[in-house]
Amino acid sequence: MPGMRDVEIRRRWVEVAIALAVLAFSLPVIIGYSLMILSSFSEKMVTGLDPASFQPTIQNWVLLFQGRTALFAGYRVDIWRIVLSTLTVALGISALVTLVGSLTGYAISRMKFAGRKHLMAFLILLHAFPGSVLVVGVAFIYRLFLPPYQYVHTYSFFFVILARASIEIPMATWLMKGFFDMIPWEIEWSAIVDGASRFRVWWKILLPMIKPGVAAVMLFGFLAGWMDLIYVRTFLAEPTLAVFIEHNANAEYAYLPLVAAAGTLYLLPTILFFLFAQRLIFTITVSGVKG
Amino acid sequence: MGRAVSKVAVAVAIVVIVAAVGAALYLTRPGAPEEVAKVELTGNLEQDIINVGKALQAAGISEVRYSVWSGGDPNSVMRVYGIVEAAARIMKIWGENGINVRISVDTNYYQKPDAVYQDFVSKWALNQAPDIMANGYVYIASLADEGYILDLTPYLSKYQDFLSDFYAPVLEAMKYNGKLYGIPQDTEARPIYISKEAAACAGIDLDDLAGKVKAGQFTWSDLFNMAKQAKEAGCVEWGLIHRKGSAHPDLIQFIYAFGGSLYDEDTGKLVLDKEAVYKWFTVERAFADAGLLPHDMMSWDWGKQIHPTVVNGDAFAFIGGVWHWTEWQTKAYYHDPQTGEDRGLRPEEVEAKFYYTLFPAGEPGKQPVTLSQPFAWVINSKAGYQNPDYDRLKDIYQKLAVLLVIKASDPDIIAIHSIISSHLPVTKAGAELLQDQGFVNDLPNLPTIRSDEVRNAISDIVERTANPINIEFLMNTTYMLEYTHFTPKHPQYPKLADLFADAIDKVLRGTMTPEEAVDYLVSKINADPDLKGAVEVVGEVPTGWQFPQS
Repeated sequence: MPGMRDVEIRRRWVEVAIALAVLAFSLPVIIGYSLMILSSFSEKMVTGLDPASFQPTIQNWVLLFQGRTALFAGYRVDIWRIVLSTLTVALGISALVTLVGSLTGYAISRMKFAGRKHLMAFLILLHAFPGSVLVVGVAFIYRLFLPPYQYVHTYSFFFVILARASIEIPMATWLMKGFFDMIPWEIEWSAIVDGASRFRVWWKILLPMIKPGVAAVMLFGFLAGWMDLIYVRTFLAEPTLAVFIEHNANAEYAYLPLVAAAGTLYLLPTILFFLFAQRLIFTITVSGVKG
Repeated sequence: MGRAVSKVAVAVAIVVIVAAVGAALYLTRPGAPEEVAKVELTGNLEQDIINVGKALQAAGISEVRYSVWSGGDPNSVMRVYGIVEAAARIMKIWGENGINVRISVDTNYYQKPDAVYQDFVSKWALNQAPDIMANGYVYIASLADEGYILDLTPYLSKYQDFLSDFYAPVLEAMKYNGKLYGIPQDTEARPIYISKEAAACAGIDLDDLAGKVKAGQFTWSDLFNMAKQAKEAGCVEWGLIHRKGSAHPDLIQFIYAFGGSLYDEDTGKLVLDKEAVYKWFTVERAFADAGLLPHDMMSWDWGKQIHPTVVNGDAFAFIGGVWHWTEWQTKAYYHDPQTGEDRGLRPEEVEAKFYYTLFPAGEPGKQPVTLSQPFAWVINSKAGYQNPDYDRLKDIYQKLAVLLVIKASDPDIIAIHSIISSHLPVTKAGAELLQDQGFVNDLPNLPTIRSDEVRNAISDIVERTANPINIEFLMNTTYMLEYTHFTPKHPQYPKLADLFADAIDKVLRGTMTPEEAVDYLVSKINADPDLKGAVEVVGEVPTGWQFPQS
């Protein structure tokens, strides 16, 4: 018994040490975000550990929701329209990535066809390309399908969703393949014997069994759209929150506490994601790498 | 059974998609354009507005949409709202003449004008660029070369009276290859601000200093000696403060102040004048070595370091711009020692704190200078493309865009922009309004502004800035335009300006001597094929040149 006790104590110490190390490495990030959130409620930017620099106010949030970009005068924006544009792009990408990712993931997991292995390798290769590298080519495609002038605004939304989703789809496909691989073939086989089509099996039987995976891909797709800057700035006819922050943060006369409020608003979906999706992340870690 | 149904569903889906695409192509096919009555601009603004309105109404158009983009400090928003107000005024004229057409204007205003330019360029080919943009005149060359903006010369051939009201040098800056591509929106001068409190503390007499600078009797050596005196007397922490980051365009005043040049009109090439640049670098190095200018000046933060240092009286001199006069009133850079709060200065406090003068001559025998970088309205060569029946009505839409810009140059719009943003008026009529006491007294009520959107956006800043002290400042600095220089309208100039910034940072930090920095510039220019072809290197580094000169 004393021996076991020693082992338990040692484990606790190891756990404490790991926790402290993780905390130490995370501290700069935690401090950075904390200072930004504090600054959004302060008259001045809180950038140091000087408590005097925190001068509480909700003025920055009031200004942000009024669509103002400075204390005096300044340009007025429709902040809710910006949020709506950001949501449209993020939800559109999320839906498309989930739909295509789960269909292709299913096909690669379950069907034998010529070039399957090459396709899998090619998808990984596609994922290795950062979106910024592809911008010129993507702009060429934009021009190729350019509609008449009056439809450009709508087209820009469809195009950004398609272009940005296509960057996320390879990873989503691999994730979904991992989830489909976990389901025993017998389940699908018995449904097919009962007369169900492959599509019906995919929709009615397999997808409900991998809801966490679908939810995770959906969330990853949403965050990819929510945080994108290059594609939305280049191809979208409306600003998103990322573009709004970029245009107001980096100037000599920028009113930074207001930008901090916009940054905090921009951070909210990520925080919500973190709070609600921790278990899903662990599931993916276990299943997503299974080939 | 299920599989058969799926196949039928897929087949039906394919047929539906093909049919939808076919229908869309059929509906959007270009038809033979019908003839539309041509509208000729007569030079009579009101009549032209009416003629364009009637032509639109006759073509069955009830609403037209334009977009305008610009950028800059938060006080300069009339760069977009000027067009919104112009639209409201044109609609009033149309309403009075029974024309029922509505103009809606989408606006977009960034804080960095260069980002506006980048987006204009990247979005032009995507059919997302704005119809009208107000931006620095330096971009005219590249935009005109690419065919992105309209040559306004034929549109304004009958508007000679309108054009002649603009100050000639500013209007000239809008031309490229002999054609007019822009209409001036605002301009500015870049005075040297001197702390009156520091001067009084050090026993320095500033009386008629501006006159001596104007006459070339007060040079940078004199300013160095004054700054040193103020610092040694313990009155200030720094003798000189200037912009950070880019050298463009405040610091290149040094090149002109030493009689140098940046552009060769005959060859159309940029110029690296080695002698003038060497003298500029030597002056900066002397200030830094004497502890008068921070070694890390180019890395300072505007909001946290540069402006607070200047407005709190910790610097003797500041190479600034006229717009800083009101920026210091609307941003909380000043730390009030009485209350402990950070706040904007009051107009009378700015007046009490700062003396202003031209940028002094570099050395005896040279001239004082200032530098302007006027903003220009430019019009997209596809202006009006968001509107119905564009191919048929293109000419009318473009003319309406031109009329919007002409209307946005109404004297009161120019005067209001000048006052709230502390930029100099670009027209004589605008400048005259600044001296009209009745206009100035009524300004807080904005009686001439028709658009509620504009009124709501600027009323608080008008209330804050429209006062006799600020207007007097504008009137007192307008003379500086007589000494003004412009940055070259050359597509490669921004690259050269970045090299200047890099070199001056190395000089200030002491990692290069002024002579090494000049050689560094030459090597950088030679290493870049675009720059090498665009820049001619002239002159030699002088031997035995000293600063300060006794």
